[in-house]
Amino acid sequence: MFKRVPLMRCVLAGAAVLGAGAVFAADPPKTEEVPFWAVGKPKADAGAKLAPVPSFPIATPADQLPVKKLQVPPGFKVEVWASNILDARGMRQGDKGTVFVSSLFVAGKIYAVTDSGGKREVKTIADKLFLPNGIEYVKGSLYVATPKDITRYDDIENKLDNPGKPVMVYDKLPGEVPHGWKFIKLGPDGKLYVPTGAPCNICEIKDGYAQIARMNLDGSGMEVVARGVRNTVGFDFDPKNGDLWFTNNGRDWLSEDLPNDTLNRVGSPGKDHFGYPFCHQGNFADPEFGWGKKCSDYAQPAMLLGPHAGSLGMRFYTGKMFPAKYQGAMFVARHGSWNRTTKFGGDVIAVWTDGKGGVAKSEPFLSGFVENNEYLGRPVDVLVLKDGSLLVSDDHAGAIYRISYGQ
Amino acid sequence: MSLRNALALAIVLTIASSGACAQGATQESATVPASERFAACLACHGEGGVSRLPLTPSLAGQPSFYAITQLFLFREGRRQNEAMTAVAKGMSDADLRAFSELIAKLPPPPAAPASDAARSARGAAIAQRFRCASCHGADYAGGQQVARLAGQREDYLNKALAEFRAGTRVGYTSAMSEALAGIEPGELGDLAHYLANFGKTATAR
Repeated sequence: MFKRVPLMRCVLAGAAVLGAGAVFAADPPKTEEVPFWAVGKPKADAGAKLAPVPSFPIATPADQLPVKKLQVPPGFKVEVWASNILDARGMRQGDKGTVFVSSLFVAGKIYAVTDSGGKREVKTIADKLFLPNGIEYVKGSLYVATPKDITRYDDIENKLDNPGKPVMVYDKLPGEVPHGWKFIKLGPDGKLYVPTGAPCNICEIKDGYAQIARMNLDGSGMEVVARGVRNTVGFDFDPKNGDLWFTNNGRDWLSEDLPNDTLNRVGSPGKDHFGYPFCHQGNFADPEFGWGKKCSDYAQPAMLLGPHAGSLGMRFYTGKMFPAKYQGAMFVARHGSWNRTTKFGGDVIAVWTDGKGGVAKSEPFLSGFVENNEYLGRPVDVLVLKDGSLLVSDDHAGAIYRISYGQ
Repeated sequence: MSLRNALALAIVLTIASSGACAQGATQESATVPASERFAACLACHGEGGVSRLPLTPSLAGQPSFYAITQLFLFREGRRQNEAMTAVAKGMSDADLRAFSELIAKLPPPPAAPASDAARSARGAAIAQRFRCASCHGADYAGGQQVARLAGQREDYLNKALAEFRAGTRVGYTSAMSEALAGIEPGELGDLAHYLANFGKTATAR
């Protein structure tokens, strides 16, 4: 029974983390000794084994991708569009059709996928970058956001084989790893939207964190658009009215089923606060930071996306290929949970707004990535191609799927 | 250094410098199954993956995800070790998968044959202070991308801890360096001793 001893030690260690600051004021704070994602981790067996898992370091060979197990609505077809793209994350399309793909911890690369006559070629255009998850294509230039800066590769589609050194656009981002990696996007106002997540699972927030900001394309005029946003890795603008909608990852370790990730609309840019770290999912006060706070004082989510779902990329559908009912609907990629014993998410859903700032309904769109509580793939971002089909990136398998309708 | 260790070191240096490991593990990968080429790995890492060579880790009991991650980092030049860089350079993706799965099948190593109770007690306190178990597990068996520590060679643990502390070894991020922030150099030895002997029962010899 030698295992009992370390388990008890673990319990005591955890108690010290929670109690030290309050009970023994003389003790130095010790929470920084626990990895940021593990603060609040339970001591029970099933919970104690949970941890975030990086992408697998080897892309799944094309012929072993689980495409036959994937399900889409009747009339749709899902196929492998590109494979062997290690750690494939964010996607953007250039004017000439090039699909740019970002990556995170495992690869640290930016890829360009070109399509000539149905045959895709994958090129690495930048390497050894620091968590380069955020990319955006604007007027010939590719913007690349890391946790610490944003750079720009000009005339990129004509220089895929030799992109050269990028231009520094903005170098004053905090640069911390936890929730520091980016999703960036050009708004209808011509500004670049740049979030910075909470540098922790749950903690007090200093200025500059847990927010979505925007800046001019030259890096000037940075201003906050939304506060109290724990970590958004996906947003887009409603093509009807320009409203900013974003996914937000809920905090970890509260329980298996609470809180939910959320889908949100920014109703009052610059004024909205979405509750973090005080309130989660619009109605659930944080057990540590929520005392004395009223959840109704904060901007309410438009939709709950499920517990620990890892809701990431989202896009409004603006193509012409899919049936009319999808016009103006959102596709939301849920990466799938790590902080839950039974996997949740790992799919793409379609969401319809009610035209009044809320959500009318949602439906499954792409599923089948979870088998026997293991991931066969993990969707990260969605991209509407110029032909109206939808690409879905999968960092677990290092692949991109294409969903088309009626051909 | 004992005579046996000196001999072992001579062997590993010979193998590493000749590149025999590298050739053995990677040659004719199209025709020789990975399970046969795996013997070349065990020439250094020991029978059953339990290492007898100084500064060479036991592979036994390491999770396959951890093993493939390290092979990947060696292959990509993101983890530095002369012998392993040479070995991993020629490995295909299929090799990485095959070797990591073979490693995960090896039963965990037995705890080291002798431990110093005072050093282990100090090591246990250090492990508690730095919350090692919050990632490596209360039994230090690791899991997923996290290394098994229990029963690992003490000299290797000591070396790895020193590299993490110095920031000369990083994984995908500097998480281990951050986890060790504030540890004193003099504490690494006791921590390594405790972990190397972890799981040893009172009756074990």
